[in-house]
Amino acid sequence: MNGDRGAASMTAAVPAPAVLSTAAAPVETISRTRLLWLTLRRKPLGAVSAALILLLIVTAILANVLAPYDPLETRPDIRLQPPSREHLFGTDDIGRDVLSRIIYGSRISLWVGLLAVGIGTGAGMIIGLVCGYWEGRTDLALQRLMDAVQAIPGLILALAIVSVLTPNTTNAMLAIAMVIIPGNSRIVRGAVLSAKQNRYVEAAEALGCRQLHILVRHILPNVTAPILIIASIWLGNAILIEATLSFLGVGTQPPTPSWGLMLSSTGRAFMERAPWLAVFPGLAISLAVLAFNLFGDTLRDAWDPKLRRNG
Amino acid sequence: MYKYVLRRIFLAVPVLLLSSLIVFGLMRVMPGDALTVLMGESGNIGEKELAKVRKDLRLDLPYYQQYGLWLWQMVSLRPGDSLLTGEPIAVSLGKAIPVTLELAALAMILGLALAIPIGVLSATRQDTASDYAGRVVAVSGLSFPDFWLGTLVITFAAIWFHWIPPIGYTSLWDSPWRNLQQFLLPAAVLGFRLSAATMRMTRSTVLEVLREDYVRTAWAKGLGGRIVVYKHALKNALIPVVTVVGGQLGVLLAGAVVIETIFALPGMGRLTVEAIQYRDYPVVQTNVMLVAAILVSLNLAVDLTYAWLDPRIRYR
Repeated sequence: MNGDRGAASMTAAVPAPAVLSTAAAPVETISRTRLLWLTLRRKPLGAVSAALILLLIVTAILANVLAPYDPLETRPDIRLQPPSREHLFGTDDIGRDVLSRIIYGSRISLWVGLLAVGIGTGAGMIIGLVCGYWEGRTDLALQRLMDAVQAIPGLILALAIVSVLTPNTTNAMLAIAMVIIPGNSRIVRGAVLSAKQNRYVEAAEALGCRQLHILVRHILPNVTAPILIIASIWLGNAILIEATLSFLGVGTQPPTPSWGLMLSSTGRAFMERAPWLAVFPGLAISLAVLAFNLFGDTLRDAWDPKLRRNG
Repeated sequence: MYKYVLRRIFLAVPVLLLSSLIVFGLMRVMPGDALTVLMGESGNIGEKELAKVRKDLRLDLPYYQQYGLWLWQMVSLRPGDSLLTGEPIAVSLGKAIPVTLELAALAMILGLALAIPIGVLSATRQDTASDYAGRVVAVSGLSFPDFWLGTLVITFAAIWFHWIPPIGYTSLWDSPWRNLQQFLLPAAVLGFRLSAATMRMTRSTVLEVLREDYVRTAWAKGLGGRIVVYKHALKNALIPVVTVVGGQLGVLLAGAVVIETIFALPGMGRLTVEAIQYRDYPVVQTNVMLVAAILVSLNLAVDLTYAWLDPRIRYR
């Protein structure tokens, strides 16, 4: 992990001891952004995934500008029309434009993905920091709780959570966040346990720094890389779980355009007569998930020193 | 070894108890109880009748007593009846479990048959077109939603070959051929998803093993490529792969939820989804708890197997 920020702050605070001065000897450091940029230039798949993510974000933000039609406008006279110049991805069973619905659907996917991963990663990070730094009984109890949540497969847990709450987009998002917490907490805990062994943490403790200060200023900067890597991979999974929940009827509810819902409602019902209703929403989900998976791999290549050596 | 076994079991029990508390608690988070929601949705019902049914189902007991009772029902393998159908849950599960087991076994076989050769090919031809193709297949397996693949497979089989899987479940013993026709496509879709992680793991471990000294020695001895890769490298590379395969059971069970729904297979996944859709809480909590128990037991079995295979683990 990159310990630049933590190490740098300690260098400023403690100039004297020989060990520390060795650790803080001038070395050429590269910022994380530059490392990522270099990796993206070296790995075309990583660059493609970054471009796809950018496209997804732009589509979601500018959905009302980019969508050629209102995604909720029904026109029975043009129902089940195959892809044409007027309707690039065809129309559905009540004459809604599929392309416009896919464009608006990107908002739901991205929104749910970002919020679920934000909540799940944030909560997982706090639990991981507490467990890894203080260890002891709190760690034991919290980790057993995380084990217990992880014992239930993610999708089944999300389904069970949504079943007791009302099936809608917000509850699907909360359910996904719950699924994300245990894995993240474990990764952060591991990273904290490793970061704690650094000399600058020992030195900060010896200087009498407050525990919270050490945790936030010296340990947290060293665990942000694994958190960001895992968050980017989870974004893809979160989009996939949201689509699956909507497909099963317990996520986003009609008539809101959601990729998973489009597949289950019209995609399956008319799949033989109008295969485009199943093909395009699925393609959108796959591309979004693929982009986040590949980008996660690229981040790992760029920021994980162990992999960099092997690669 | 006994100490290690006892310690692992001792750690697994609280995890299972906590899982049961989560599942039980989850079913009671909702305002009112399960019955009120169920009856409220089914139509008007008097307070008196509601109180009677609640008493019959022991939903009038305090939560800790309900939890104790449910735990006892689970341990004694009598998890009660479905609210929706009135059928004993044990009977429903008895019919559903073999379906999911068959689907899971077939998916696992197909997944491994795809993952290991492609993983090895990817590693032995690193950074060539075959490697890139293999890696794209693996990442696709992780990215393509199984419900989409399932839908596409049914759609295009119908459009191109005018064929759809036989409707209505037939058991393997009644008609093996009809049963295979029903299971092959869903198992292939689920297997493709499973193969992704295994393929990636096989590639990376084979790559690592191929750089080991003993593999270099094997090459230096003049052994043929196949013998070096399959006899020396793959055999050792498979140990971490087995761990990944073991960890895939969760993916398999979650995947079964979707695949069984699409292909209308009456397995545990479909039973759970239907119970969730109709808010049949006794069935939901039993199924989720059963899945958690299976996963915890399997992880325990994997840990114990490792300890048996590698004595260093027991003494850590």
